[in-house]
Amino acid sequence: MAATLIQLVINGLLLGGIYALISIGLTLIFGVVEIINFAHGEFLMLSMYASFWLFQLCGVDPYVSLFMVIPSFFLIGWAVQRIIIQPIIHAPPLNQIFATVGMSLVLQNGALFLWKADYRTVRTAYSTFSLKTGGLMISFPRLVAFILALAIIAVLLIFLKRTYTGKAIRALAQEKRAAMLMGIDIYRMYKIAFGIGIACVGAAGAILIPIYYAFPTVGALFVLIAFVVVILGGYNSLVGALVGGLIIGLVEAFSGFFLSPHLKEAVYFVIFILILLLKPTGLFGRG
Amino acid sequence: MLNLENISAHYGDVQALRNVSLQIREGQIVSIIGSNGAGKSTTLNTISGVIQSSSGTIEFLGKRIENLPPHQIVERGIVQIPEARLLFPYMTVSENLELGAYTPKARRGKEENLEVVFRLFPILRDRENQLAGTLSGGEQQMLAIARGLMANPKLLMLDEPSLGLAPLLVKQVFETVKQINAQGITVLLVEQNVFHSLSIANQAYVLENGSVVLEGQAKEILDNPQVKEAYLGI
Amino acid sequence: MKSSRNPFHPRFYFPLALVVFLFVLPILPRNPFYEDLILMIFFWGTLAAAWNLVGGFAGQISLGHTAFFGIGAYTSTLLWLKFGLSPWLGMIAGAGLAILVAIGIGVPCFRLRSHFFALATIAFAEVLRYVASYWRGLTQGGVGLLIPFKPGMENFMFRGKIPYAYIALGLMLLIILVSYITRNSRFGFYLISLREDQDAAETLGVNTSRCKLIALIVSVFFTAVAGTFYAQYLLFIDPDTVFSLPLSIELALLAIIGGLGTVIGPVIGAFILIPLDVLLRGYLGAISAGLNFIVYGIVLVVAVIYFPRGVAGWLKTWYEPFLRRLPGAKQALVTEVTVPSPALTTETSDPQDPDPEDEEAKSPLFQVHSLTKYFGGLAAVKDVSFEIKKGEILGLIGPNGAGKTTIFNLITGFLSTDSGKIEFRGEEITGLKPPHKVCLNHIGRTFQLVKPFNNMTVLENVMVGAFSRVRRASEARKEATKVLDFIGLLRQRDSLASSLTIADRKRLELGKALATKPELLLLDEVVAGLNPRETEEIISIIRAISRQGITLFIIEHVMKAIMTLSHRIVVLHHGEKIAEGTPAEISRDKRVVDAYLGEEYLA
Repeated sequence: MAATLIQLVINGLLLGGIYALISIGLTLIFGVVEIINFAHGEFLMLSMYASFWLFQLCGVDPYVSLFMVIPSFFLIGWAVQRIIIQPIIHAPPLNQIFATVGMSLVLQNGALFLWKADYRTVRTAYSTFSLKTGGLMISFPRLVAFILALAIIAVLLIFLKRTYTGKAIRALAQEKRAAMLMGIDIYRMYKIAFGIGIACVGAAGAILIPIYYAFPTVGALFVLIAFVVVILGGYNSLVGALVGGLIIGLVEAFSGFFLSPHLKEAVYFVIFILILLLKPTGLFGRG
Repeated sequence: MLNLENISAHYGDVQALRNVSLQIREGQIVSIIGSNGAGKSTTLNTISGVIQSSSGTIEFLGKRIENLPPHQIVERGIVQIPEARLLFPYMTVSENLELGAYTPKARRGKEENLEVVFRLFPILRDRENQLAGTLSGGEQQMLAIARGLMANPKLLMLDEPSLGLAPLLVKQVFETVKQINAQGITVLLVEQNVFHSLSIANQAYVLENGSVVLEGQAKEILDNPQVKEAYLGI
Repeated sequence: MKSSRNPFHPRFYFPLALVVFLFVLPILPRNPFYEDLILMIFFWGTLAAAWNLVGGFAGQISLGHTAFFGIGAYTSTLLWLKFGLSPWLGMIAGAGLAILVAIGIGVPCFRLRSHFFALATIAFAEVLRYVASYWRGLTQGGVGLLIPFKPGMENFMFRGKIPYAYIALGLMLLIILVSYITRNSRFGFYLISLREDQDAAETLGVNTSRCKLIALIVSVFFTAVAGTFYAQYLLFIDPDTVFSLPLSIELALLAIIGGLGTVIGPVIGAFILIPLDVLLRGYLGAISAGLNFIVYGIVLVVAVIYFPRGVAGWLKTWYEPFLRRLPGAKQALVTEVTVPSPALTTETSDPQDPDPEDEEAKSPLFQVHSLTKYFGGLAAVKDVSFEIKKGEILGLIGPNGAGKTTIFNLITGFLSTDSGKIEFRGEEITGLKPPHKVCLNHIGRTFQLVKPFNNMTVLENVMVGAFSRVRRASEARKEATKVLDFIGLLRQRDSLASSLTIADRKRLELGKALATKPELLLLDEVVAGLNPRETEEIISIIRAISRQGITLFIIEHVMKAIMTLSHRIVVLHHGEKIAEGTPAEISRDKRVVDAYLGEEYLA
């Protein structure tokens, strides 16, 4: 039993790392631009396809394509902010919500149009490789995914903590008017923040493709989890997104084992509603 | 140094400033007084570029600035310390100061400015690693002023620096403003505290309903019965 | 007011002609493809109009309506398949279940801010989709449920499409009727007002949470019924269609394109987009699945960025002149006998109004004892006590940040008190919340930053207030007209509130509050930002209000105004009461002068 429990914790944490990476991008965008990116999952889907095709057509290993996805998705995020979000930054919530919802519809069905509804994945030499010790089994690509996810999150947190631009982004999230008065070009920061958020979810796609399938609606699946993570962690806390991601990973592993893997979404939703009712600011959120 | 000519500004479609003209000469302390809603903060925000003027011109050091975005105005050397301080509450004192020195020029002079600021407010050195949100009201105001100074201002604009402070601290704040001015920084001061602000200012403007109703030497304005009338309605 | 409609006026016969046209429409084509198209327009029109009640009128953006649609479809289908229960009854059962679920979801989620409300509703619908997919024992999961075709009225199954088309048309006309009645009733005014500004609506006596919930229930009822209809028409349902997120989005899209928050906008949206959709599916769908949704998505993004008002807003400018050109336009639509409305000022003789000379008038109407409120350890209001006598005008002044507006918020239920007692008409009202209860208790207020309902006309704005005392729209209109006359806004009655000047907005703010017939009216800086002439006008209105026996409690920064208006003044500084007395006493008080001008000013 003890081994099973440890195994579940490992499985949960490995999963949670990726959830955290997806969610942290969503949190950053919400914290700075004050918009919920309903198309967030679709960028995950796009990046999974990007890595898939890079592997399929050019033989690029997903862990290598990661380094192409991050900068290109940063630029995509930048452009989305400039072209779609910027014009409605002061518009009522309805316009903001439906702008990103519409974007999600376009991307999802664009993928369906281009690549059909087939499930696609990358089979590499290490895909099925796993480490076995003391009755425990750790899937190699999952472990790599976990390590990469945490490494990217660490780089992001250090960037926000240490660099001038990072501090400016945090400042903007905390007190917009003062940031403006200190000489920070807030519209440029919006673009950078949106770019980083999309780069994060893009990175998550690249490290997810060796262990999961790409299909047009895969984003919807993960973004639901990301929404729960963000609400759980507190929608304005990046650390909350990290911890929330790991918690949801654990919840999934345990509820899958003790209840049923098919009920995990129901479990998320219960958590979602409970948090909204009991502690709307989440575990780490600031009121 | 700064020249506002017939500036009008609107909040939404509410006219907040009507043909405001004012001049600030280098090295002076200029005070704007007037009751709440008279347009004092709006004047500062229009100079800072946070609010776009609907007509009129603003000239700073001989160049037009009325159409520049806020960050470029800071780069030109006009820095506003906003009402209610607006610190970055979840950042440390030193991070707040660093963000004050955000513009490229200010970054170069960061170390020296830090020394100056710590000499002016020794308490901030002790609080360096404390979150700004946990400081006392007086300390927060010092940090707000310090953060503004880090931006290397030629013209420092203070919006209600004495707001919410105990009388003793109020005196200190005005002392500080005088010291800053003594270092060669021009000051534009917006205050409700008429007595204190006029007693340290060279020039003063009285705003009422978005227009300048009185201007002149601060001392003369202090003795002008019209001021008391505007404030107390008698 | 008596009225009878003139059937020969275009305003009457033109809509009637449209309805007749709709009834003829299904039997015109004699071609299954077009019959299906017409039916789908009615079906989607129904759904979009149902969504519009919540998303448009009440402004609560639900992206989870597919959940209620799915519940409707699955409930009736399962009841039919498992127990042979007629789908007509199953439809009611499905609607009932969907409403129960909607209440369970709505109550917690309505507290969320807009983005998060949308998020929560998406999450909820997605979960139901998973439940339907994986609860195979009940739903057969992703395989879906097939309904064997047994035509018959009692089975809600018909040969051919025409009976379905008429059922869909019936539903659509019903929801249009519901929307129309809503738009012109107290409930509709309440929904729109809470969408425009929830705090202002509460202050005028609107129970915003209850209104949102009722709108949701009505909307969900039609959505679930449409779900059953869908199942009976296609005879096949599966989780990925009836619980799909794009379905929720499509509803909203139709409403937005057609005109959000209008009665027929969503239906117009269906008439434009459904044929387009069928066309796209026909031409593009043959090339590949999904292409029609790409177009939809682009239309949605472009619409919300560039045309958020939709077609209905644009049609409206065109509709009236068009009607005027039709025959019969010169005749009167309604022959009405209007009773000349007595001006509000004559109401001073109303026996309920207090006579200032009365003994009773000298007793305190309103009392505050040791009121205290902390914000994060800092006392915003500290141990403040005062009373207001019936018919009096009490001024409340103090420098910026003294706690004046906090006191208003404590009285009107926007904030809860930490300690102290508030009494009104001898009854304790401390902690009376939410604000609409305070309004219904005859305490009105205005806001420092005026909160007009921007997308309503001036008259409609005031009617929202009047509805707190009367039920019928005609009465509210009459009351509101009187108030508009009184505050001098009668000429602008049909302008949108957003088009008013600041001075007129201040009047409107007064008008809305007056229409609730308060005994005590709290005014927060009504003359701030006005020029001297405008100030004079507002002051004379305030005097007139006072003459009607309404007790006034006024925050004001413009000293001339408050000194001339008030009988007595309370002065706050740093949350504490530092002085109280007549204007003359206050202006001589050293502490007051110090607080305002800085100590030593006189020295």
